[in-house]
Amino acid sequence: MAYTLKVWSDFKNYQTKCYRDYLSRASGGLRCMGSTWSVLAPLKGLGHDVHLIGGEPHAASTAGTLPEEGRKNIMAAESAGLGFHSCSYLKLFVGEVVRDKMSITDGTVHDGYPRPDLIWTTHLCNLHSKWYQEVSRILGGVPLFPIDVIGGGAAEQDPKIVDYVSDQMEEGIGWLERVTGRQFNDELFIRAARNEIKVLVLWGNVCALNMHSPAPLDERRFIALFPPAMVDRTTDEAAKLYEDLLAEVQHMVDTGQSVIPNQDYRIAYFGLAHTYGHPEIGRTLKNAGAEIVASVYTFGTAGNFKGFDKDRKWSWEGIDPSWVGDLDLSTRRKALTELAKIVLAWPTWQGVRSYWALEEMSKAMAAQFKADGFLLAPTRSCETDFRNGYIALQRIFKDRLPTIEYDTETVDVRKMDIPGSKRKTELFVDLMKAHKNKKGGV
Amino acid sequence: MEKNAGKIIEKFRHITENPHEYAKALKDKGHLLAGYMCTHVPEEILYAAGFVPIRILSAHESQAMTRSYIHETYCSFSHDCAYQGLQKNYGYLDMITHASSCIHMAEAFNVWVRFAGYEEKSYLITYPHIIHTKHAGDIMVKSFIQFKEFVEKFEGKSITDEEIEKAIKVYNKTRRLLKKLWESLKADKPPISGADVATVSLAAQVMEKQEFNKMLEELIQELKAEPHRVFSGVRLMVTGGACDDLRIFDLLEDLNYDTNLIFVDSCTAARYFWFEVPEDSDDKLKAIAMGHISRIPCPSKDTVPGSGEKKRFRVLQGYIEEFKPDGVVMLYQRFCSPQSMDIMALKPILKNLGIPWTELELDTTVPRIQFGTQLEALIETINRVEP
Repeated sequence: MAYTLKVWSDFKNYQTKCYRDYLSRASGGLRCMGSTWSVLAPLKGLGHDVHLIGGEPHAASTAGTLPEEGRKNIMAAESAGLGFHSCSYLKLFVGEVVRDKMSITDGTVHDGYPRPDLIWTTHLCNLHSKWYQEVSRILGGVPLFPIDVIGGGAAEQDPKIVDYVSDQMEEGIGWLERVTGRQFNDELFIRAARNEIKVLVLWGNVCALNMHSPAPLDERRFIALFPPAMVDRTTDEAAKLYEDLLAEVQHMVDTGQSVIPNQDYRIAYFGLAHTYGHPEIGRTLKNAGAEIVASVYTFGTAGNFKGFDKDRKWSWEGIDPSWVGDLDLSTRRKALTELAKIVLAWPTWQGVRSYWALEEMSKAMAAQFKADGFLLAPTRSCETDFRNGYIALQRIFKDRLPTIEYDTETVDVRKMDIPGSKRKTELFVDLMKAHKNKKGGV
Repeated sequence: MEKNAGKIIEKFRHITENPHEYAKALKDKGHLLAGYMCTHVPEEILYAAGFVPIRILSAHESQAMTRSYIHETYCSFSHDCAYQGLQKNYGYLDMITHASSCIHMAEAFNVWVRFAGYEEKSYLITYPHIIHTKHAGDIMVKSFIQFKEFVEKFEGKSITDEEIEKAIKVYNKTRRLLKKLWESLKADKPPISGADVATVSLAAQVMEKQEFNKMLEELIQELKAEPHRVFSGVRLMVTGGACDDLRIFDLLEDLNYDTNLIFVDSCTAARYFWFEVPEDSDDKLKAIAMGHISRIPCPSKDTVPGSGEKKRFRVLQGYIEEFKPDGVVMLYQRFCSPQSMDIMALKPILKNLGIPWTELELDTTVPRIQFGTQLEALIETINRVEP
């Protein structure tokens, strides 16, 4: 029987509370905007009343909760001049500014776009900080601090890159003090830093438990469970959520339970979540007894793993959570350095401009999660790594595992070929069946 | 009889149209050749080591081969450059290098490394993605030191400071000469066409620099003595991304109206050379880094920390004041997101300045009729031609 997660409502409530607090400027605090794919803890050195909104999770949840609003936002952004081929998350996000509205995960739509006090973001792909340049411009100039994160290919092991990212954040803290007029509190920052690292490590552990058979979770649950780590992972509440989740999923493993008990075929997935088509493809897989048990997106966007060793071999095993408690974060610089390393070690960044890292991660995923097939779903408008190198992965796996590629799109229905993707998924299932039969399996 | 300036221009044009013939001739003379995919590569280090750096450019051939290597939503320039590797059209190169640039070109580089046999003779230079961070210079220096070590190991000999200084001076001379040539287009009646100047600029990216400098010096002398071509028309400025298809620049000056191409802000033209590396500096690699930081920024790296300003726009407005265009052509690769983002913010600036513009999206080939119609509509807007 399918297992029902007990922590589910706590996760949803946390996310919604974060957005409500941002909207209402709870306690009269600061509104901070930016990619949540950034180091967030420095913002929390500004006080207890710092509320965050991040482009990617907000755009994804808007499209999921209020698809019609999402479509209108994208069209508004295009009417304002953004290109058809630009990132759809970006367009949905900018569209809200253009329309002077904001929707949140409780299904409400609010008139009057809440102006952020500052933008703190990251720049990795061609577009990341440019996204917020546009928001700042449309809103008449919001102070913006982009951090250049030269990710890719075990960058966390490269001292010059770790120093570069840490130096920028240190400079950024001075900037935060200047633009807010607040004094930076290192105690609050370090507490937030430890929570941030802890959540990332805990999520990595949750994901790694899917190496078991049956895998306790499926991609749909992963998509629903990782947003709090994206929205605000710096709080005590966020750390507690993921501690509870890890304990519950560990219990599922110990008792052999799963949210999807029928798992004849285990799939590794390289691609973003796509609001349109994911349910249909999920159903096709489920009906065939197949399930995505490992995914670079949900695992790697808000999770850390053992990662690359000295020989550049990747492991998807989790990092012992007690390591976080032992980390020396006693000074601002030490905390910034550890944050830089943890962020640079994110799996989703390893493949950027680094073909070998992407290949190592994918090979390790197939082996460690005992995958029967590889589903590659490059995202048409994603400038980061969610199509970078994916096509070539077919060449790597063609003689080893059934592998299929279908084009996806995050939140823009116009770019999503749902019938084509479904047909390819059906074919993929048949390929896995044939492959297993050939090996004397099912 | 063809005048001397014309002959030199034709020679430059021949080289841009037949870069492999030119490169192979260099190889036959014993030169080592290093290909590079993005102008952020510090060519001076390669040149100091005795390599001739050659920019890998596209061939504008229709092909489908690269679709099974890189996604279709990468720009045609990156696809075409990847194709050059898979087809071994640059098989004579001793090495390829790339400085972490836009993701599209990074993927083209990866195709060469993974599938075109360059794994052991390639190098990816770590390079800031935001060029204006306070610490960009520091990481560039550290990264250039590592690149220099790689080149030294590859060649089996060390590179001296004197060799780097010499290279800096040769390259600065190229930059000054090119700047001088472009500045001649500021005149009401320029002595050379903008398309020819764009051709010379592209030639600089595939030629041995001392030979290039000699030819360009001769050309500038010839133009001073006698203009190659004089007529004045509507002054057009181009801003955008990589464009090595010279046919578009020919088209800009071959419409049913008189036009002059007077400036091209792109990495295949002004952004390639419109800066200098400080000379006689104690720290040569730091000098190269400082030079790179002072360039007109690539849109993918252009965000000023603190304000989020796009520095390129400030620079561009300076060129508008100096070169006095009547109209602006936004020319960029289809799927190039940083360019399309910048254009959205550039339009209000041009509107405030009262300068009309048009947008042309580049693909593998130039749709001459479509672009021509669009460009003529721009000229009619500028000239206020009655419908």
